[in-house]
Amino acid sequence: MTSINKRKFWQSPWGYPESIAVTAGIIAIGIILQLTVGSFNFYLLAFPSNLIIAGLLTAACVTMGFKAPNNHWVRWLSGVSMAVSLLMGLLILGIIMGFTPQQADETATNSKPGFDIMTRSWPFVLIYSLTLLSLGTLNARRLIAFRWRDYAFYLNHIGLWLLLMASGLGYADMERYVMYVREGETEWRVYDDENNIRELPLAIELKDFDMDVYPPRLAIIDRHNGQVLPFENPQFFAIDTDTPTGVLAGWTIQLEQYIHQAVRNSDSTYREVPMPGASPAVLVRAYNDSLLRKGWVCAGNQTQMVMTLSLDDHHSLVMTTAEPRSFESDIVVYTKDGKQKSALLRVNHPVSVGAWTIYQYGYDNNAGRLSAFSSFELVYDPWLMPVIAGIIMMMLGSVCMLWIGRKVKTTKHDLE
Amino acid sequence: MTWNNFIWFALPAMACWCGAGTTIYHKRGSTPANWLMLLGIAIFAVFIIGFWMHLERPPLRTMGETRLWYSFFLSSVGYVAYRRWRYPWLLSFSAVVATVFVLMNLMKPEIHSKSLMPALQSNWFVPHVTSYILSYAMLGAATIGAIIQLNRPQGYAPGIFDLIDNLIYIGYGFLMLGLLMGALWAKAAWGHYWSWDPKETWAFITATAYVAYIHIRLRKGTASETFALWMLPVAFVLLIITWLGVKYLPAAQGSIHVY
Ligand code: HEM
Repeated sequence: MTSINKRKFWQSPWGYPESIAVTAGIIAIGIILQLTVGSFNFYLLAFPSNLIIAGLLTAACVTMGFKAPNNHWVRWLSGVSMAVSLLMGLLILGIIMGFTPQQADETATNSKPGFDIMTRSWPFVLIYSLTLLSLGTLNARRLIAFRWRDYAFYLNHIGLWLLLMASGLGYADMERYVMYVREGETEWRVYDDENNIRELPLAIELKDFDMDVYPPRLAIIDRHNGQVLPFENPQFFAIDTDTPTGVLAGWTIQLEQYIHQAVRNSDSTYREVPMPGASPAVLVRAYNDSLLRKGWVCAGNQTQMVMTLSLDDHHSLVMTTAEPRSFESDIVVYTKDGKQKSALLRVNHPVSVGAWTIYQYGYDNNAGRLSAFSSFELVYDPWLMPVIAGIIMMMLGSVCMLWIGRKVKTTKHDLE
Repeated sequence: MTWNNFIWFALPAMACWCGAGTTIYHKRGSTPANWLMLLGIAIFAVFIIGFWMHLERPPLRTMGETRLWYSFFLSSVGYVAYRRWRYPWLLSFSAVVATVFVLMNLMKPEIHSKSLMPALQSNWFVPHVTSYILSYAMLGAATIGAIIQLNRPQGYAPGIFDLIDNLIYIGYGFLMLGLLMGALWAKAAWGHYWSWDPKETWAFITATAYVAYIHIRLRKGTASETFALWMLPVAFVLLIITWLGVKYLPAAQGSIHVY
């Protein structure tokens, strides 16, 4: 392409200077829009407008790519210089976003150009849309000249297009709610993120909630203010029967016996009883140069008292509240049309019912294992399928890049 | 094997790597350098395996633990890339950087408790994190190549762009796999595949920077070659912010990824 050097700015065929100018111009228009009309309202995209926009966008890409794959303008719009300029535009907007704390609230913005609500600001939305148009046209233009050996290209670019399109346009149709269900009861009311109550075409019965905890940690505290020693750098000793000895703030700690599900006896010792009210307890020996103490320590819970081991006038050995290892809800889901589905819900193991997905969300943190309720998050996302398809295509495309690397000979020549 | 044993593996491994990194420049040094490098990697691998068994969970949770893998992968990737491309500096630089990460772990060890919160208990956890760390190692090696080339007044080192481009393609492949697996995991754990959490925003920035590099390289010409070379150190700074820096940013208060 020697002609690139001779032609003037804006004279076709366009290349880097024009692509950069157009990208910068679009960002500038976005900023002006942001300053004058305010943030982009994502909910304008709610069904059916997102479906219509997706249709129009696809039609535009296909028309340009199929009908005029060799037109100067189509080539420019879907070419490398435009791709690089758009990517640099996204990169710069992304970096600004990365350094600016973002507002969680959908509409609140404290910054005029909307940098604190980046993904809902006009500059971002416009560059995102233009990227969709450019990438879609490129895909169409390359599909009309289909070649099997371009499989990696198709996987990456079509996958990305699907992902960007469905996640951007589908955002407005996504619904998320939280539902609280008491053990033994059935519930169909949920809360949205503004705490309004709604009724869903879906009910959940909680048959049982259970959780397990990790062995907790030991620490020495100052009895007067409850602070963990040493003050500058609090130390904790994780209970682990493989390493029964440790040092905490000058005291050597030795574990004699650990009971994961312990209940207190009348003489302040503990015995193992597997039941919801049980709590971890440990028999320890603690000594320093002059003193030796031995006794039980337990963090307690709603039904059992805390047990500490006093070391001297000021200090005690205490147990921290155990961290959850896993929690699960035994549920039955009922739908309006009479279907029912039982499931054991855990974090990372959601269940799907139609376009709804149900997640284990939380429980009564103060009660821990004794929690009388369990909470679930319910997510409705009708655009999930194309997103997942895009993700899978891009994963395959990434594997291709790993596998092939950059083919040294072919790429440089046959691109233009 | 606990963290207390680390020093007895770290010191010999570092000695091997540094030995390999220097002998490689001597005449007839390449055989001992090869063996030293492999020995260092093997010693390090033994520690990781033992530590994993002790923890009863993959050592991938704390920063200190991920740095362990970075040292391991960077030395391994550096060695494999050296065998493929025969640049001695590739071996010595990856040995030095692997050593620096071991030193960081010796100076600033972090608490390694056995507990793993429920959201992290997922089949995606190990492939997600290892994929990322592998890619960081690859992209780190490519950055070293770019910096060396930028400081070479006598023009392009033979085959340098082939080396860098290949490392970037492979590193990018792992980066994207890590990111996409993270998205699928987030969907399973939190209900949404992408929430623009600060760590995610920075992951997007990093990926975009490398995709930009890939496309800049599709056009020939000195200007775009120089620009592409400069792009790599910049992209690597962005990568480091994503990996290590996000938790210090004001934008990251309340991120689910800060650990
Ligand atoms: C996940 C992201 C992406 C990856 C991994 C990727 C990768 C690649 C690769 C490896 C090539 C060279 C392949 C070949 O020669 O067949 C390429 C070409 C190209 N890519 Fe991408 N790309 C990505 C995103 C994008 C985006 C967002 C755009 C546009 C906005 C774009 C536009 C282009 C263009 C215009 C070409 C040249 C193709 C031609 O001239 O026919 N890419 N890409």
